Amino acid sequence: MSDVALEVENIYKRYELGTIGSGSLKRDLQQWWATSVLKKEESDEAVDRGKNPYLWALSDVSFQIKKGEVWGFVGSNGAGKSTLLKIISRIVKPTKGYVRGRGIISSLLEVGTGFHQELSGRENIYLSGYILGMKKEDIRRNFDAIVDFSGIEKFIDTPVKRYSSGMYVRLAFAIAAHLEPDILIIDEVLAVGDAEFQKKCLGKMNEVSQQKGRTILFVSHNMQAVKQLCTKAMWLKGGSEHASGEVTAVVNKYISSIQKAQLTQSWDTCENAPGNEFIRIKKVELVPLLAKPDEPVDIRTSFVFKVELWNLVDDQDLSLGLHVFSYGGECIFDVPSPSYVFNKGVIEGECKIPGHFLNDGAYYISLIVVKNTSVQLFYYEECLSFEIEDYRENIKWFGKWMGSVRPSFPFPLKQISH
Amino acid sequence: MQANNQWDWEINARHSWWNINVKEWWMYRHLLGRLVRRDFLLNYHQTVLGPVWMLFQPLATLVIYVVVFGKIIGVSTGGLPPVLFYLSGIILWGFFSETFNGTAFTFTHNSYLFSKVYFPRLIIPLSVLTSQVLRFLVQFVFLLLVITYYYFVWHVPLFVSFWVVFLPFIVLGVGLISFSIGLIFSVITAKYRDLGNIVHLGVRLLMFVTPVIYPLSAIPANFRWIATLNPLLPFFEAFRFVLLGQGTFTVLQLAYSAVFTLVAFFAALSIFSRQNDKIIDVV
Repeated sequence: MSDVALEVENIYKRYELGTIGSGSLKRDLQQWWATSVLKKEESDEAVDRGKNPYLWALSDVSFQIKKGEVWGFVGSNGAGKSTLLKIISRIVKPTKGYVRGRGIISSLLEVGTGFHQELSGRENIYLSGYILGMKKEDIRRNFDAIVDFSGIEKFIDTPVKRYSSGMYVRLAFAIAAHLEPDILIIDEVLAVGDAEFQKKCLGKMNEVSQQKGRTILFVSHNMQAVKQLCTKAMWLKGGSEHASGEVTAVVNKYISSIQKAQLTQSWDTCENAPGNEFIRIKKVELVPLLAKPDEPVDIRTSFVFKVELWNLVDDQDLSLGLHVFSYGGECIFDVPSPSYVFNKGVIEGECKIPGHFLNDGAYYISLIVVKNTSVQLFYYEECLSFEIEDYRENIKWFGKWMGSVRPSFPFPLKQISH
Repeated sequence: MQANNQWDWEINARHSWWNINVKEWWMYRHLLGRLVRRDFLLNYHQTVLGPVWMLFQPLATLVIYVVVFGKIIGVSTGGLPPVLFYLSGIILWGFFSETFNGTAFTFTHNSYLFSKVYFPRLIIPLSVLTSQVLRFLVQFVFLLLVITYYYFVWHVPLFVSFWVVFLPFIVLGVGLISFSIGLIFSVITAKYRDLGNIVHLGVRLLMFVTPVIYPLSAIPANFRWIATLNPLLPFFEAFRFVLLGQGTFTVLQLAYSAVFTLVAFFAALSIFSRQNDKIIDVV
């Protein structure tokens, strides 16, 4: 038990919706007058207030974090991640439950906590450092390292309001990176800054967690970063724990659940189906070829596109075209089928989209039906949509990978001279 | 039971009436120092006159009071030179009102910070009080210089008595009253935003029922008891008595003010420490 750094036990947090408690004095006085002085049962307003809905931002969340573990917290917006971190950081009180821990805790819930625009970089290092809980000796000892890390030596005595946003963020993170708590809480700070700086930050976090054995709680929407940096993860959904455990398993489950995809559409009867007097669509389907069913669809995944259609005219020369668009509306590719002459009945087609081909992102598919390889019979726009998650191995950079396609062509390097 | 003892700290859902952790304040003493420094840098660093501004405000007020109340309206100063009379009132009142205005909006003005990081919330109002004490001391030294000037040039007699030992307590009393009422109002202004405007007006009106621009002796005797309900009154009268030799107060009145100050102080600490976690949810 003694290696547990942080224990969260049955934490609940209730927020009252509306503006109770920070509303107007007049309303509260009327309320008080009605119930206490006039002894009315309950005024209309009081009934309204009684109905004022609660929001359980967190309900019954419990977990234990061992010393040196790095936990990622994932979930959609409003799932309670930030509330949880705020409770552990002592910023808000839980409505019920306990948090117990060992050692000093520091939280980084925003970039540049305590910064004042009018003050110089030097003053802000001290001010922000003390606010984040650093000791005088810590700041003195690390001052040069902080300035060095931020790369703003020349501007250290300039008010931070004259800094570019990049310089501001770098200085803020440099201070944060030199905090030396036993437990560190980080919320989305990586969402800012240029790619170069993000790399530096994540490297620093890695170093802090692995070499210095610090316990870290990390909230991010960047699943690659969570996977790389964390050892454990918890998926919060609607204020309670949905899943927790080993990071890859939890994150994969989460990704598969949020991938907004319409992977299949089919019609039982020819009359209702989209189409016209020549052809009607019976079924369109995109099947990701996954090793395990709960794995997320990522850049390695291959797909099979399947289509069935009713041919309503005998002796018709038909061919299909598969158009894949990015969500920006740009056509990534257009694959034509060969053309054949068909009689009335159901026609089936299949097209394989290999893995390591499309980049991560969201896509939709449109299907074109062509007669005599020249006349458009029917164009079924946006019939399917799918998302592809990123996947990286042995890469310490988490920025957006460029390009619409992401082929893995061989690209060997070798040394040819010394 | 044994397991509980192993933890360094615990967060729970209780809101206690007395949650004062002096050890924690001590850990954050450097933050207090930095906040005071920030206050001075922001107010005086980038200005042309710099620290002279600290004296400019009382001096400008002094000129207005001497002209308006002294020359035009002709308010009695109880036989003291108007400049000394008004200046002593102005700097003590300035100390009170600035401390109050600085602390009464602790939550509304710092919510962006309070919602992002934990530190003992009381550090913020304490830093305001500290800055104001320092500012008062500078102005007080200036007042002593003016008194000395009047002694040498105008031969206004110096008044020195054993009462001087009470001077720090008078200043402490004024500081604590304004700090305490400020803390209570910081909770009120966070809960009821519409009261924020009234607070400034209230302080301005309070000045007229406190002997800042007139001596208590100028009030008709049969109304005087109402004025003495104001706990600030004995402090102001005593302040002038100690420095200038004129002031109307009794030891009983001073005792009343001292008790009022202490009660207000502990009530304020209690209300502040009980409410500060709850307020973060609503600001």
